[in-house]
Amino acid sequence: MFFDSQPGAITELLTGRSLASREIISRTAGRTARFQTAGLCRGDRVFVQYGNKPEFFVDLLAVWYSGASLVPIDSRLTAYEVENLARAVAPRFMLTDSPADAAILSGLTALGVQVIDTRDWDDRHFPSAFPMRCQTYLDDEALILFTSGSTGIPKGVVHTHRSLRARWFSLREALGIEAHHRTLCLLPTHFGHGLICNSLFPWLAGQHLVIAPPFSTTALMQLGAVIDEHKITFLSSVPSMWGLALKASKPPLGKTLRRVHCGSAPLSAHLWRQIQQWSGTNEVFNAYGITETGSWVAGTSVAGFVPEDGLVGVPWGAVIKILKSADAGAPFDVDLQCRAEEPGYIWLNTPALMRGYHAQPELTDQVISGGWFFTGDIGVADQRGWLYLKGREREEINKGGMKIYPADIDAVAERFDRTREVCAFALEDPLYGQSLAMAIVLQDDADATVRELHAWMKVHLADYKVPLHWYRVESLPRNSRGKVSRKDVAAFCAQRLPLDLQTILKAK
Amino acid sequence: MEREKTKSELINFVRTIQRPDCPLDDIDGDLSLVKSGLIDSLALLQIISYLEQTYGIDFREKGVDPADLASVNAILELIERESGA
Repeated sequence: MFFDSQPGAITELLTGRSLASREIISRTAGRTARFQTAGLCRGDRVFVQYGNKPEFFVDLLAVWYSGASLVPIDSRLTAYEVENLARAVAPRFMLTDSPADAAILSGLTALGVQVIDTRDWDDRHFPSAFPMRCQTYLDDEALILFTSGSTGIPKGVVHTHRSLRARWFSLREALGIEAHHRTLCLLPTHFGHGLICNSLFPWLAGQHLVIAPPFSTTALMQLGAVIDEHKITFLSSVPSMWGLALKASKPPLGKTLRRVHCGSAPLSAHLWRQIQQWSGTNEVFNAYGITETGSWVAGTSVAGFVPEDGLVGVPWGAVIKILKSADAGAPFDVDLQCRAEEPGYIWLNTPALMRGYHAQPELTDQVISGGWFFTGDIGVADQRGWLYLKGREREEINKGGMKIYPADIDAVAERFDRTREVCAFALEDPLYGQSLAMAIVLQDDADATVRELHAWMKVHLADYKVPLHWYRVESLPRNSRGKVSRKDVAAFCAQRLPLDLQTILKAK
Repeated sequence: MEREKTKSELINFVRTIQRPDCPLDDIDGDLSLVKSGLIDSLALLQIISYLEQTYGIDFREKGVDPADLASVNAILELIERESGA
């Protein structure tokens, strides 16, 4: 089950609490027995509402040992969103480590999901040796990571143990493991980048993982001291984290840091050079990855690279082709391959490719053709074969590295009884890269209606998905075929003033 | 008197970066700006820039103690300390 003979130690940054490798194995055995007693079987699914702490990793191993798959859930999701995801994948358990929200509890119970507060579990009386043969089979489902559809039809990326191992072997081949000897994870563990690559890749290969709360501002403002104190050799990141770290934290002095990755959002050459200077290493790699490919699939691990806007570098365990075609329905045709420097659509071939989207074969067929994955990204390869990203065709808003799908926002606002039309879109944002805005056509002009819609959105959407900028318009702009384009709506709203939400909401 | 003026200016600034649905008037001076949901965590960067530009505090030299930015009162104390008041 481990990528190497045993997992590494884990230290929780917030408390300083550490679990040695032996203790992790012993606790995993106890927890496996506990799961078995509770009725967990091979093929079951388990929601976990907490992450970024040692117990999450113990539970992940115990779930896998039992032959079940883990579905990490963002703890900020509303009861409505959690229920929607549960309806899609029918988990046997949801594990929580805090008093369950009453609405979540009743919704899941109605769906037949057993909610377990693991704080109530005392594993001391359970065996410290594994109670059964490991039930893990390579082609079994290991992880489901939801990338969108928390309010509509959920898009759950299914990874098997085989696809995950393929990712980790590929990374070891491309990057080695030595630089990851003491790894810091500041990214959320319900997120492919944070879980599969930043945490599991080194930790399951026996390296020491230091785990922090996701995007912890305390850790970022003292990042240099954290690196020195824990002798961190590696960390991964998203660009938006660096604004705070570079401004507020003194650089590390201990010279332990060997490598830094930055991914999940475009990294400008300017910021890239600043990170190199601050961290004291030139090995700051722009890492390109997609949840569907087990995250990192390419990066700038090439000698003598110089930071450039859009530079991604070379594949890590994948073949990358730039094609003129975006059609996964048509047979993959190599004649459609672009020449060097000619932009086109990025396609990937990797053994780490997901099995597919959970229970959505048609959606899967739209992105996979003959084993090739259509990324939805636009790029070019230069004469050396290095990849450069030039844009994205995927419909997603990248708020500080967290992907938000505007269709999820539309789906909630549309269900409000006084909404006529709605279109969520991205606005440029100095802090987060992009932030979320919404154009809305309401049945009336009353501020009270705006307040009620806002309350409706807060009930159905996690806070970070509620748009901060609202534009009340007479109608949405449409193209000659009558279609609404998010880009056109963004341009249309740029000529208008947003609602003064602060004043409107305060008036309640 | 000076502290009240500084506080009023600081609150006016926070008003420009706060989330729209969190009434600033109700926030106690000791309440955590981030934990209370008044501002996004990364908006601390905007507060740092405000302190640099308005009071000339150079954080590059000394770094930032997160506790100094936790609440309106903590920030006021930081300003007073740094300006030698």
